[in-house]
Amino acid sequence: MSQLTFQTINTTVLDTLTRPGKAYWCMIALLFCGAVMGASCWAYQIIVGVGVAGMNTPVHWGTYLINFVFWVGIAHSGTLISAILFLFRAQWRNPIARAAETMTVFAVCIAGLFPFIHLGRAWLVFYMLPLPNQRTLWPNFQSPLMFDVIAISTYLTVSSLFWYTGLLPDLAIIRDRSRGMRKKIFKVLSLGWSGKTGQWINYSRAYLLFAGLATPLVISVHSVVSWDFALSVIPGWHTTIFAPYFVAGAIHSGLAMVLTLCIPLRKILKYEALITMNVLESIAKTIVFTGIIVAFSYATEVFIAWYSHNSIEMETFWWRAFGHYAPEYWIMVVCNTVIPLLYLSKKIRTHVIPLFIISIFVNIGMWFERFVIIAGSVAHDFLPNAWGHYRPTWVEGGIMVGAFSLFFFLFLLFVKHLPSVSMTEMKEMIHHKVE
Amino acid sequence: MSADAIIVTGLYNTQEETLAAVKKIQEKGFEVTEVHSPIPSDALARALGRKKSRIGWFTLTGGIIGFFSGFALAVFTSTRWDLIVSGKPIISWIPFFVIAFEFTILFAVLGNVLGIVTQVGLPDPDYEKNYDPECSGSMYGIEVASTPEDADSLRDLLDHTGSIKKQRENL
Repeated sequence: MSQLTFQTINTTVLDTLTRPGKAYWCMIALLFCGAVMGASCWAYQIIVGVGVAGMNTPVHWGTYLINFVFWVGIAHSGTLISAILFLFRAQWRNPIARAAETMTVFAVCIAGLFPFIHLGRAWLVFYMLPLPNQRTLWPNFQSPLMFDVIAISTYLTVSSLFWYTGLLPDLAIIRDRSRGMRKKIFKVLSLGWSGKTGQWINYSRAYLLFAGLATPLVISVHSVVSWDFALSVIPGWHTTIFAPYFVAGAIHSGLAMVLTLCIPLRKILKYEALITMNVLESIAKTIVFTGIIVAFSYATEVFIAWYSHNSIEMETFWWRAFGHYAPEYWIMVVCNTVIPLLYLSKKIRTHVIPLFIISIFVNIGMWFERFVIIAGSVAHDFLPNAWGHYRPTWVEGGIMVGAFSLFFFLFLLFVKHLPSVSMTEMKEMIHHKVE
Repeated sequence: MSADAIIVTGLYNTQEETLAAVKKIQEKGFEVTEVHSPIPSDALARALGRKKSRIGWFTLTGGIIGFFSGFALAVFTSTRWDLIVSGKPIISWIPFFVIAFEFTILFAVLGNVLGIVTQVGLPDPDYEKNYDPECSGSMYGIEVASTPEDADSLRDLLDHTGSIKKQRENL
């Protein structure tokens, strides 16, 4: 880090924007095919009907909403890194902030697709919007599902604007070093940024305000997502711990996804001088912290079920651990709370391969957490005669693979066309270090 | 700055050199009209006597409008079909506060963006005037206004302050 200069930062980041090789385009083509396959599965579901998915009585909330919660969770750590850690002046965030913010924007877009898919008749989505109509029917703003519509659309708008505002000075750097069509495109995108003192004063204040507004927003959004469940009376859902539990889980999964993305990014784009081992180590330490909060939440849920002496709650949590979905439950517990503890070892958290592998385990564990909460609770509620099981069908699997493909497709496009490390924030960081 | 003034831009390697140059140029009675820099600098803003940003007012106004709009939307839509469901009051303050909160953030951010557009002066189609592309990379550029008669002494002064390159001069 000490050898970094303004010039080397520019060179390192701008070198990543050169013409990509064949391997890149092959990867892009493969991911595009995955996304098209997911879209085809959705088209099939629209033509035949939502019955092609595995959702049926009593489990009407299946993988679509599991994926919705999973992707909203992934989105959260982008804002944690770009906004919350910015307010705390944690400098290790600077090299990964741009990648994390981009991850947020794409993850919210993917998350936003799933309620459409879950609706079945996606063209009726406008029923959720407060539009004047002849029947004087309006959305019910007492419903947490409507909170969610407002919260997610706000989050998408805010995170996209925050991301673009952060990009402005970097877009000007690319503009000033491009020719031809590229220069024309970046001229438009950079809005004529020229780094005047007056521009910087207002820009810095606006960025700080963005961070200050995004921080309560990010906490509210996952709290609102948790209330989709907690405000119902289903055992396993109806609990006051859900909001902080979901927020901690979201940050846990999001940080793991940041590692999953940044480790290959660092290697392939030769970012070792910018995304140092110290940065990756700091993420790993934060994952240990969030993992402990998640473990505490799991333990509290079980404890409250036992302490309440409510037979239905006790049955629900007993069934979670030893019933039909026990494998999923134990995958969740082990991947989210036990495996991240390996990061306590300095040897493990300073080597990219174990760092990467553990981050994948956390991602898997967090997906299963949403499965256990969503499908597991409604599958086994009050009346034994209403109990049932849920198994996703190939259509749901196809859509899920399509969603992951679309996410990685968009991210790969981003890393070769826009600066994936914020040059300006890196320069500020080394300038303050010199001072 | 008079109508026949010319602008000369000097380029510097570091913020410290730039600050020292700004002071010297001002002491000699020239007007520093602008400084372009690759990163934000409070010291440069102070040296140029720039005022504090007023963007916060846009954000605050947006937030206040958002809060009341969110609340008003929820109240208005509920009273259009005032049927009590699950014993909840038609105007339910707590759930409506969630909508008001989200609208507060949304409108505050939109106010912030409006602030950027109006206060930062973006988009700026004339940005290239007096601007050296090096200033987005690693260098600092000082724009100084001068009368045509004083232009030579200004160039000498810029050389003397360590300017490594004099950029094109614009009328």
